[in-house]
Amino acid sequence: MEEKLRELEERRAKVLAGGGPKRVTAQHEKGKMTARERIEMLLDPGTFVELDAFVKHRATELGMDKIDAPGEGVVTGYGTVNGRNVCVFAQDFTVIGGSLGQMHAAKICKVMDLAVKIGCPLIGINDSGGARIQEGVDALSGYGEIFYRNTCASGVIPQISVIMGPCAGGAVYSPALTDFVFMTEGTSNMFITGPQVIKAVTGEEVSAEDLGGARVHSEISGVAHFSFPDEQSTIEAIRKLLSYLPQNNVEDPPFIDVGDDPNRIDDSLAALMPDSPNKPYDVRDIIGRLVDSSDFFEVQPNYAKNIVTGFARLAGRSIGIIANQPRYLAGVLDINASDKASHFIRFCDAFNIPLLTLADTAGYMPGVGQEHGGVIRHGAKLLYAYSEATVPKLTVILRKAYGGAYIAMCSRHLGADQVFAWPTAEIAVMGPEGAANIIFKKEIEEAPDPATMRQDKIEEYKRSFANPYMAAARGYVDDVIDPAHTRMRLCNALNALLGKRQSTPSRKHGNIPV
Amino acid sequence: MKHYRITVNGTSYDVTVEELGASKYVPATSGASTPTSAAPSVAGPATAPEAAPQPASAQSVPAKPAASAANGGSVTTVKSPMPGTVVAFKVIVGQKVKRGDVLLLLEAMKMENEIVAPQDGTVVALRVAASAAVNTGDALVDLA
Repeated sequence: MEEKLRELEERRAKVLAGGGPKRVTAQHEKGKMTARERIEMLLDPGTFVELDAFVKHRATELGMDKIDAPGEGVVTGYGTVNGRNVCVFAQDFTVIGGSLGQMHAAKICKVMDLAVKIGCPLIGINDSGGARIQEGVDALSGYGEIFYRNTCASGVIPQISVIMGPCAGGAVYSPALTDFVFMTEGTSNMFITGPQVIKAVTGEEVSAEDLGGARVHSEISGVAHFSFPDEQSTIEAIRKLLSYLPQNNVEDPPFIDVGDDPNRIDDSLAALMPDSPNKPYDVRDIIGRLVDSSDFFEVQPNYAKNIVTGFARLAGRSIGIIANQPRYLAGVLDINASDKASHFIRFCDAFNIPLLTLADTAGYMPGVGQEHGGVIRHGAKLLYAYSEATVPKLTVILRKAYGGAYIAMCSRHLGADQVFAWPTAEIAVMGPEGAANIIFKKEIEEAPDPATMRQDKIEEYKRSFANPYMAAARGYVDDVIDPAHTRMRLCNALNALLGKRQSTPSRKHGNIPV
Repeated sequence: MKHYRITVNGTSYDVTVEELGASKYVPATSGASTPTSAAPSVAGPATAPEAAPQPASAQSVPAKPAASAANGGSVTTVKSPMPGTVVAFKVIVGQKVKRGDVLLLLEAMKMENEIVAPQDGTVVALRVAASAAVNTGDALVDLA
């Protein structure tokens, strides 16, 4: 027995050592932690339970029979984050470059299946050179099996991908299929075809960082939802994100009361809104004063900045916030803003997180580029996502809500449960200047002084339409409220709506315009 | 002629770099190599060749290429992110600006949008007049 125990110890020690001290040092020198160190930091101390430590690859071709890969280049298992279960896998770059072969993929698939069975979030840490070429089509089958599971688990458990090293070719699509992608600046890359292939095919010279670094994906492409300067801050952010999320689609998000009075009245809110409707402001200042302890966890803060998305709490309950950002591109809706918001809304709806929409937008972005880029198709996603969502939907119209953008920003017509408007709200088909020019074209042209007449008509239009009362008269707006009372009214409404049940006709699935 | 697209702070700039030969122009920072250029010496000003308008789709701050372009003495053109009317310039030619300083107000989509400097630099030229109507991608201010 003693001998057998010693053998077990030896075998386990070998797996725990990963690629050995030399490769571990190389990993550290790049500013990267090892797979096991990352898992240790992510999970509550001492809670990690490893699965499949002794799995080995089955490849014999091209010298693979002589290669020993402890742990098959990936560490998998489960543990807790803030006391709640999560499943996790972390590719181990120190073991044959974290390359993905058949058994490597099998380990990942097994822990994915487990996460779905027990209904807990799955966190995948990617740091891999790509497919293990020696394993040929077996490696490809591995990717396919993972994609299939990502898709089946979508909307059932929260799936979080973390990129902490290379992630190229087929490997990028598993993260792309998940709910949130985190990247660490400087050490992570994502691309379908790398710099060398691009140079060979198109002649363009680009570095891996400029092609698919954390900045690129969090600011230009929108592939990543978060990027952080180092691995530690990345992992801290993952733990924070999880605090807003339920374990699965049949659970409610955790209730975390931080003691912020739901009835808190904030007289400074009104002052945040500029007197002139043409002046920009930062909508995040308003969000900060509405939510518990001013704690707003922004998602995709640097992508499509004309719309703000993120998580916060109202009276202890998680909410997802979608807000136009007048400070950036006048807060217009465009292709990227529509994509960003739709993805976020659908995530919240899938996981029972109520939606709070703060509207202040003059409309969709005009331009040939937008039209040719398919703003119709992309903008439709926003309508679809809001209409489809059955979670409680609260809307506050802060200022401008014109035309199609009024409808799109979770209006009553798309199924909002409570719509409030500040007295500054202007809800109309279009802005006063444009509207006056069209409606009173003849009067203005025929007047002895067209300029004065035009100004008079603009004022007339403003009085009649550029306010919240026309919409309130129809019941499209439930109430016009003092900005100071916004938090209280939202907390009240959310509480009242907790029991909301909305059933939709049975169907296989809808067909969102993608 | 080499064409580069540089995206800074949400606005993309098309920069043309022309090789004039070392005899004609010696960069003030002699010996400083410019990673963005294949040419040994770099000369501005940047022109804006019919850029495919890059509206909100490009929102990035890869500070690196922009910074190296500035070091190389080339000019960065701040372009209009959307169609609108220039209300007023907040800077004059020759003025030094810091990243984030307001260059001008652009009335667009019923909003007076602050167009800010994408990087530290000096205002070399105001490319349009106040109250001019501009389209997406039109040059507004040159910074060096």
